[in-house]
Amino acid sequence: MSSGKKMWSAALLATAVLAVTAACGSGGSGGSGESADGKIKLRFSYWGSDARQKMTEEAIKKFEAKNPTIDVEGEFSDFASYYETLSTKVAGNDAPDVITLEIRGLREYADRGTLADLASSVNTADFDAKVLSTGAIDGKQFAIPTGVNAFSLIVNPALVEQSGQKLPDDSKWTWDDFVQFAGKITAGSKGKITGTQLSWNPAYLQIYAAQKGEPFYNGNKLGMSPQTIKDWWGIMQNLIKTKGAPEAAKSSEIGATSIDQSLLGTNTGAMGMWWSNQLGAAAKASGQNLELLRMPKLEGAPTGGMFLQPAMFYTASSKSEHAAEAAKFIDFMVNDPEAGAIILSDRGLPASSKVLAAVKDKLPETDKKTLDFLDKVKGELAEPPAAPPKGASAMEDILTRYSEEVMFGRMTPDDAAQKFITEANASIAG
Amino acid sequence: MATTSRRPVPALFRPVKGGPLVKHVLLIGFGLVMLYPLLWMISSSLKPEELIFREPGLLPSTVTFENYTEGWYALKHPFGYYLWNSAVITALSVVANLVACSLAAYAFARLNFPLKKFWFALMLGGIMLPHHVVIVPQYIMFSELDLINTIWPLVMPKVLATDAFFVFLMVQFIRTLPRELDEAAEIDGAGYWRIYLRVVMPLCLPALATTAIFTFIWTWNDFLSQLLYLNNPDNFTVTVALRTFLDASSDSSWGPMFAMSIVALGPIFGFFLVGQKYLIRGVATTGLK
Amino acid sequence: MADSVAVKPREAATRPAQGGNRSTKRSRREARAAYLFLAPWFVGLLVITIGPIFASLYLSFTDYSLLQEAKWVGFDNYVKMFTEDPRFIASLKVTTVYVVVSVPLQLAFALALALVLDRGLRGLSFYRSIFYLPSLLGGSVAIAILWRKVFGADGLVNAVLAIFGIQGPGWVGDPDTALGTLILLHVWTFGAPMIIFLAGLRQIPSSYYEAAAVDGAGTFRQFRSITMPLLTPIIFFNLVLEVIKSFQSFTQAFIVSNGKGGPADSTLFYTLYLYLKGFKSYDMGYAAAMAWVLLVIIAALTGINFLASKYWVFYGDDK
Repeated sequence: MSSGKKMWSAALLATAVLAVTAACGSGGSGGSGESADGKIKLRFSYWGSDARQKMTEEAIKKFEAKNPTIDVEGEFSDFASYYETLSTKVAGNDAPDVITLEIRGLREYADRGTLADLASSVNTADFDAKVLSTGAIDGKQFAIPTGVNAFSLIVNPALVEQSGQKLPDDSKWTWDDFVQFAGKITAGSKGKITGTQLSWNPAYLQIYAAQKGEPFYNGNKLGMSPQTIKDWWGIMQNLIKTKGAPEAAKSSEIGATSIDQSLLGTNTGAMGMWWSNQLGAAAKASGQNLELLRMPKLEGAPTGGMFLQPAMFYTASSKSEHAAEAAKFIDFMVNDPEAGAIILSDRGLPASSKVLAAVKDKLPETDKKTLDFLDKVKGELAEPPAAPPKGASAMEDILTRYSEEVMFGRMTPDDAAQKFITEANASIAG
Repeated sequence: MATTSRRPVPALFRPVKGGPLVKHVLLIGFGLVMLYPLLWMISSSLKPEELIFREPGLLPSTVTFENYTEGWYALKHPFGYYLWNSAVITALSVVANLVACSLAAYAFARLNFPLKKFWFALMLGGIMLPHHVVIVPQYIMFSELDLINTIWPLVMPKVLATDAFFVFLMVQFIRTLPRELDEAAEIDGAGYWRIYLRVVMPLCLPALATTAIFTFIWTWNDFLSQLLYLNNPDNFTVTVALRTFLDASSDSSWGPMFAMSIVALGPIFGFFLVGQKYLIRGVATTGLK
Repeated sequence: MADSVAVKPREAATRPAQGGNRSTKRSRREARAAYLFLAPWFVGLLVITIGPIFASLYLSFTDYSLLQEAKWVGFDNYVKMFTEDPRFIASLKVTTVYVVVSVPLQLAFALALALVLDRGLRGLSFYRSIFYLPSLLGGSVAIAILWRKVFGADGLVNAVLAIFGIQGPGWVGDPDTALGTLILLHVWTFGAPMIIFLAGLRQIPSSYYEAAAVDGAGTFRQFRSITMPLLTPIIFFNLVLEVIKSFQSFTQAFIVSNGKGGPADSTLFYTLYLYLKGFKSYDMGYAAAMAWVLLVIIAALTGINFLASKYWVFYGDDK
């Protein structure tokens, strides 16, 4: 009889039953190569929101209709987990065929042989050569820009007026003007509206450094002097001093939120600095008419320092078994007016001039405004900077941290500038 | 031995005169503090989306159900599709954890075998390593096995009792039970299997209920592994779908996100309500006299 | 327990005396049964747990970017951690403060409420459900927003303080108080240990109380001699697990600080830093080394916990 045997069978049975139920419940298909119907399966990874997901699925359908032998599978994630899942897949030798990347992480992947050269397989005839060159590393076109952006100032004219102020002439305003202006807004509204919120975006510092004639990166090192960084912090310290910006604790609290929850987005602040394609999100959150302004300038600066930067890039995995199809898909996404008509400015204003011309009239109001703004400042823009060195993904975190140390008075600007440069250099040296 | 008898004296907290009222007031006050976030979420889900951050108050000035209808249909599939995906994974996980963890726990708690302490330490050691460094090797493994975009990577660990939390939990519960019960059953001729099934498990009902509740909630709320292993939009689960309402750099759909978050809370809260009923006082142990 | 009035588990039935031969046969049978019960667990250990654990140990001795093959570097990662990484030390400090303050607070809270909510009042299951709700929201992104609603510069707490004429700071944004708010967030989600305590209370055999009542033991005496001792395994479980889990705290700091550990690194939890190293700086080798240092710390603490448990934890199967 042996209860031992009975136990054996019972334990095994339990495991088996569970295993079978698990197997039955599994609805998915295996992850590789070809679909059941013999089509070539192409995996395309991107991040974003529900709206972007819908749009992308629609574009994918269009592509599949034109290429019936290819089945594109979108691999979507939220931004916060995007790089974690992506790098895990790459580590698992399971990289998607087409990968969306940002400029700051581009070299991370390109320098390690993860990406394929797309120079000969994607048509880039209608691209601005300088913008296109941001996706090239060591002469190889690893990345195709989806669309462009400029880091700029967003302002709410109604709130400015409400505080008894007038919009400045942004073609010649200085940092001092900016600080004073912000302070006056706060004072004029009796504190109900704050002048501006602070930004620690490296693009902001990059613009400021350019006005001093210094590059942000110089090869695998920072190109800025400690003085530049200190002066830059000085602007923010003055803003806090004149109440043109919230005090340090509130600033860091707001700094950790999305644009919907920003001062501008909640109509409690009149200004803020963001990428130009965020105008739409800010306008939607605030429900009011918002405008783009040029960044202020240093007196006598040779350049305004503003620059165009691709919002994202499409890249292809070097390990892809379907390199030709991957390139074809990228080509469709950036060059086909039909794709452009679906995606519009979701990934920045289209980088291809042909697509831009074709979809211009379909763009929402805020995007037309952005387009006009970019046209207006076109002549003053600095060259688009090349992809930053490896390790640049962490730059915003490093800069934010030292900036906060200074704003809270826990470090002197001298000390913080030195430490920032040391840590940043260590981060990008690899 | 199955006479349920209620404990005669409410130990320590015997209601005294006037006591219940004071206690109710205190508990309700405390409950409101606990509830504030949920109330805020509900209120936000009923506001027109653009007012969520602009209007700080708890009471919406205009009530709309738009976020619910919009959120339900915002993604590739209606939201119910994702609820179902989550439900399948969660249900399998609960069953798997209950069976597999209780089997292992019984062995650790009641049986003697060589290297017991070593295995036990190894089991606990498994949950001491931050999961971020285990994710990559685990992904590589499941990828080699060609199991990406199936529910296997999510359910198999449960079938194989890898969640030390629950094994340890049940070990502790089983060990609170007097061993005399086992011995009495043994004298009656019961083998280990019968002791496990007929004596220990019924007495462990509170522990089993706890395991079921937690497995349900944690699996339902789990995000990263579901995102990693089920990244095809057709396989999305609730948590993954919810994140797609948010975009760090641009336009987040906060209204639908809050609305669907409330919807997604329904099943776990419901399961909790049902599950906690089984946190009943164990079967009376009169059989031991 | 000398004055224990209940049926004393220790002195009830004792194991039947066994002859030497029978006992080896018995113990072999018992061991075989044990390994059968453990069969699924063993497979899981071999297939799912062990492999990745050893893989991470190996990786901790390498330079590994995730995107390229790992390169062996010996003890470099470990040396770097202790000699030239102030953020590593800082994250260890932040985490230690967090664990030391929040774990006892949370457990005390959970235990107290479990005792209150065990019985004796109408509508207890209703209260239980409400108190458990925050734990359901756990890692939801909504928490980050809510936390700012409560502890932000213009949040609920400051609104209440303003009634008393106090101008509160921005609790979430101030490096001196940000960690404190996360500790409160942890205490606020006391639902899980509370449920475990409740289940523990429910598992205490009623016969003990009945016998005690017959012997005329009062409420407090019952609590001290029955409830507390019999609950110690559960208290112990919660303590061990909360220590392990709190050292690995990640999600809440990640969502509240938007993945940065700010302001000024004041909420840079150990695992958050590990995550940033591994996935943002593409230094998974270093992250793996950090993981193993944490493993050693947690294992040591758990070991101490187990050793100490001999002096205060009472098991029903104690002989």
